[in-house]
Amino acid sequence: MKAHWKPACGVLLLGWMCLCCLETAAAQSHDVDVALVVHPDAPVSNLTLAEVRKVFLGERQYWSATVPVVLLIRAPVARERNVVLKIIYQMSESQFKQYWIAKIFRAESASAPKVVYSNDMANELVTAIPGAIAFIDTREVRPGSKVIRVDGRLPGEAGYPLR
Amino acid sequence: MRSRLLPLLVISLASTILVAQSTPQSPEPEPSIKSMLDRIQQLEKRISELEDHERKEAVAQTGRSNSQAVTESNPVQVSAVPTQALHSEHAASTTEVREAEIHYPSLQIRGFGDVDFSATDRKGSVSGFDLGQFVLHFASPLSEKVSYFAEVSFTAQPTAYEVNLERNIIRYDYNDYFKMSFGKYHTPISYWNTAFHHGAWLQTTINRPEMVKFGGTDIPIHFVGLQAEGNIPSGSLGLGYNLGLGNGRSSNFAKAGDSGDVNNNRAWLANLYARPAQLYGFQFGGSFYRDKLTPQAGTNFDEWIASANLVWNKQRPELLAEYANVHHRDLQTSQTFNTTNYYAQLAYRLPWQENKWKPYYRFEYIHRPKVEPVWDFAGTASVVDLVGSLVGVRYDITNYAAFKGEYRNFRLGAGEPRVNGAFFQTAFTF
Repeated sequence: MKAHWKPACGVLLLGWMCLCCLETAAAQSHDVDVALVVHPDAPVSNLTLAEVRKVFLGERQYWSATVPVVLLIRAPVARERNVVLKIIYQMSESQFKQYWIAKIFRAESASAPKVVYSNDMANELVTAIPGAIAFIDTREVRPGSKVIRVDGRLPGEAGYPLR
Repeated sequence: MRSRLLPLLVISLASTILVAQSTPQSPEPEPSIKSMLDRIQQLEKRISELEDHERKEAVAQTGRSNSQAVTESNPVQVSAVPTQALHSEHAASTTEVREAEIHYPSLQIRGFGDVDFSATDRKGSVSGFDLGQFVLHFASPLSEKVSYFAEVSFTAQPTAYEVNLERNIIRYDYNDYFKMSFGKYHTPISYWNTAFHHGAWLQTTINRPEMVKFGGTDIPIHFVGLQAEGNIPSGSLGLGYNLGLGNGRSSNFAKAGDSGDVNNNRAWLANLYARPAQLYGFQFGGSFYRDKLTPQAGTNFDEWIASANLVWNKQRPELLAEYANVHHRDLQTSQTFNTTNYYAQLAYRLPWQENKWKPYYRFEYIHRPKVEPVWDFAGTASVVDLVGSLVGVRYDITNYAAFKGEYRNFRLGAGEPRVNGAFFQTAFTF
């Protein structure tokens, strides 16, 4: 009997450890910062969270007189989009859609943010379209990309607001 | 031994369960699973891309070795293999970029519609369905800095549909601080008038407040002329402005001077608002509008409209409050006449059932003098004394369609009986 209990306890202990590891890994994955990446020529390197909000709400539409802002946002369900909706827009998915329909209908903006379907596509477009700005998972930002500070902090730094 | 191991097993099991339960639960479990699935999909896509890349590299290498081997015999044919392989990836990304770029002109059309039912206990009123307004909206960027907007409405009348060009604007953007436009606008001296326009789906309630009602005369709903607008560098205060110069009211005071200025006197307006960065969703502002009216030949009135608004548009709650005073002065007798208008609307999007329910309440008030020569001379119907409340609920059946139900209780003039009514609407965009 003793021989049966020992492996059972071992399996339970192992299960418990695995569960702890999985939870930790999931929590870590959930906490990965989302970088704010702009086109290399965009004349901006630091924005406050309120300024980022102004840009993504379409209230600031130009970086300078010659460079319009081009918003790139991940397609629904992507974590980067959820971060943007939760922290920047503070809206649900349907409120976000209604917001942009109304914005265009009011003649305040000529077009809604462009939808990108992967971080690769976001990386590609943000370097190709002048004035483009996108949110990209920090782990997938291409080397050499222009990552801007939010509230003076870069992704990975303590107090970085976009995660 | 068994009795010693049993508690150990129970403790281990209990601790496993406790750990699982004590781990902070995601507040939104569904999106978290979805995001993990999305992440898996992305990784799978990335792996397939890398595999493709490796495969192409292998093809290219084979091609290169082949080309080295057969260069002298057939160089062109062999070199085509690696070139095609190398270019295909580049071509894919170029296509993505090309698709994402805006092409000019780039016409977008959106439609709005609503179907209504109303029943009141007012004497002589009829209950029944009506089709509301069918609205088409056109937006077309013509270049990076030039864009065109138009709005056309079709309103059911007893004998035909009335077609109106509600807005027709061409705008030139210099930067965020200066945008110049020409055409026909919704006059920016009221928040509601510029936030919701003609699509009933855009607004929480079934109808607009009486003071900004389409076809109403209190404030000019439309404005034909030019407008400068933009942000004012003001840091976190978030100031913005509109300045307009136009024809003012037409001979029918409910309409704008689309075909020209009836009394050869330009109207102007100035609107200033603030959207403080620290109070996301909060906006307040005020405006002035100035015109000269000629309700009868040889009779002229100055018109001054002063208005203010306070808005919290985060939906939890949503608060809209506006005030406007319409001041008329007879230029011959210097007699003055003031009409007071205001409303306050409160709504709250409930957090249950996917945020689909939004109950609301509105109080509105209009008081104009019994004798108001501008409206009396012009023979234009206008509300004399409105005191009314409405309570209702909006249910968003999808992201693009909503049902609304309202109960209203109002009085249209001093001493007149109060009217009760039930109103229903389904409003949608497509």
